[in-house]
Amino acid sequence: MTPAVWAQPAPLLSVPVTVGIMLGGYLLLMGYLALALRTMRRRPGPPPAERRGWPGLVRKVVGTAVGGYLLLMAVVVGYYQGVARVAGPFLASAFTGCALLVGISLPVFLGASWLEERWRRRRSGRDPEG
Amino acid sequence: MAQHPVIGYLVWAAVFGAVFAWEGIALVKGGAEAGFPTLSDATRAVMRYPVARWALFALWLWFGWHTFVRGWHFLLRDGP
Repeated sequence: MTPAVWAQPAPLLSVPVTVGIMLGGYLLLMGYLALALRTMRRRPGPPPAERRGWPGLVRKVVGTAVGGYLLLMAVVVGYYQGVARVAGPFLASAFTGCALLVGISLPVFLGASWLEERWRRRRSGRDPEG
Repeated sequence: MAQHPVIGYLVWAAVFGAVFAWEGIALVKGGAEAGFPTLSDATRAVMRYPVARWALFALWLWFGWHTFVRGWHFLLRDGP
């Protein structure tokens, strides 16, 4: 019986490309965070007023989900098609799989929010001091 | 698993250990107001901006897709 050897798979990308991508991503993220921190220090206080109530919540949640989905798809297509050259079923899986997750999570989140709001109103209706 | 090089996992363990240690220090010291922002403080600051919310959601989606969706097939569907 021969001992199992941990096979070293061939690297997906060359070392300079990998380092460039990691460094680029890191610098982009840190630059964005630094910009946000600077803006916060210049304009302290609460964020600008947003629409309140259900229309505001739905707008914010759907906007975040659609924006996040499109951003991720742009990164996935840019990286896997342009750099790693992995396309086809993988990209199709990314598109449909992420859409499936959004399709499941959004209704669940909105439903849970509606239930929580209903429960809170009932509770405050019963509580004379609430 | 027996032949996996352990050092790679130890590096991840150290990274997560550092994150939890900093979070603990920040909680003890009093959070962002005391100059030690917790992970929640950092997330709250980031969530003020729509593009940052998109990026955070994209990260969550990427993690969820990799963990729960990728490689799975619906019932009665032919395999690859």
